[in-house]
Amino acid sequence: MITLKSQMIIIGLVLITLIYFVNMVRKHQLDLRYALSWFAVGVAILLMACFPGIMDWLARLIGIASPVNMLFFFGFVFTLILVFVLTYSVSRMSNRIKVLTQELAMLKKEMNDRK
Amino acid sequence: MKKLIIIPAYNEAKNLENVVKNIKENAPSFDYVIINDCSTDQTKELCAQKGFNVVNLPVNLGIGGAVQTGYVYGVENDYDLAVQVDGDGQHDPAFLEKMSVVLQEEKAEMVIGSRFIDNQGFQSTGMRRMGIKYFSGLIYLLTKKRVTDPTSGLRMINKDIIRLFSKDYPKDYPEPESIVAVLRRNKKIVEIPVEMKERQGGVSSISPKKSVYYMIKVSLAILIEGIRKY
Repeated sequence: MITLKSQMIIIGLVLITLIYFVNMVRKHQLDLRYALSWFAVGVAILLMACFPGIMDWLARLIGIASPVNMLFFFGFVFTLILVFVLTYSVSRMSNRIKVLTQELAMLKKEMNDRK
Repeated sequence: MKKLIIIPAYNEAKNLENVVKNIKENAPSFDYVIINDCSTDQTKELCAQKGFNVVNLPVNLGIGGAVQTGYVYGVENDYDLAVQVDGDGQHDPAFLEKMSVVLQEEKAEMVIGSRFIDNQGFQSTGMRRMGIKYFSGLIYLLTKKRVTDPTSGLRMINKDIIRLFSKDYPKDYPEPESIVAVLRRNKKIVEIPVEMKERQGGVSSISPKKSVYYMIKVSLAILIEGIRKY
């Protein structure tokens, strides 16, 4: 069982992190679009820390013997999905940058030729 | 008939002057454009000083992106055919007139200068020849067409393919993959024998370490190109 002390520590850490995220979005350092999934993770951890019963209930529901295993499993799956989404946006971005680079180079050439 | 030579150049300041001189002597009916792929040597300054026709990329795009810039240039300036001539002096511009005649007479969409029809000139190393044979076989399996030199950079294409490549061209090691893209659209590719020289300077983009990545990447790219729908 989780102790009250560790519960408090986890809740505190998650709250600080969430506030940090919100602040970054506020200062336009982080896109809300990309921060949303992190907010979801933060809220999920917060809920589980406040009501540890959720984990046992969920583990029993999907047939995993130990709630800890379930946590690791979902944590890993979530990380993989997130990394994949990032790979996807990197490919999309590199394509866009390529087109922009080519257009810019052509424009510059036209400008220079006119001089 | 407007004919364009695309010269992708990354750190080729030593060779470029010769390449351009050679083109003016041996392929006078062609225009040329140098695509300076953000070289770190004196390529940009040299081109400005000599008055070469050059497009300077502000960011290094790699060979695929650089050559594609040439095709974009070709579309915007309404060229009827375009050919790639590498900036390292491996390709002899003397073959270009013949290639353009073949392109028009045979109504081909692409003409490839192949080292392996007459087996003249620089034949590359044994390992590389094996790799080239393998790609040739793979392309045959997918398209039932024989291309003896699928990695040759000396390729001439007509207006349709210029337009196609200006929109869609592989980023790295583009040659074998783009051949499949052309063949899969039921376009005609003709090969003519050429001689290539050993590079006159600079280093190949495919080092031994990268060759494993190269083989895997290009094989996959060819296979995926083979299952694309048009």
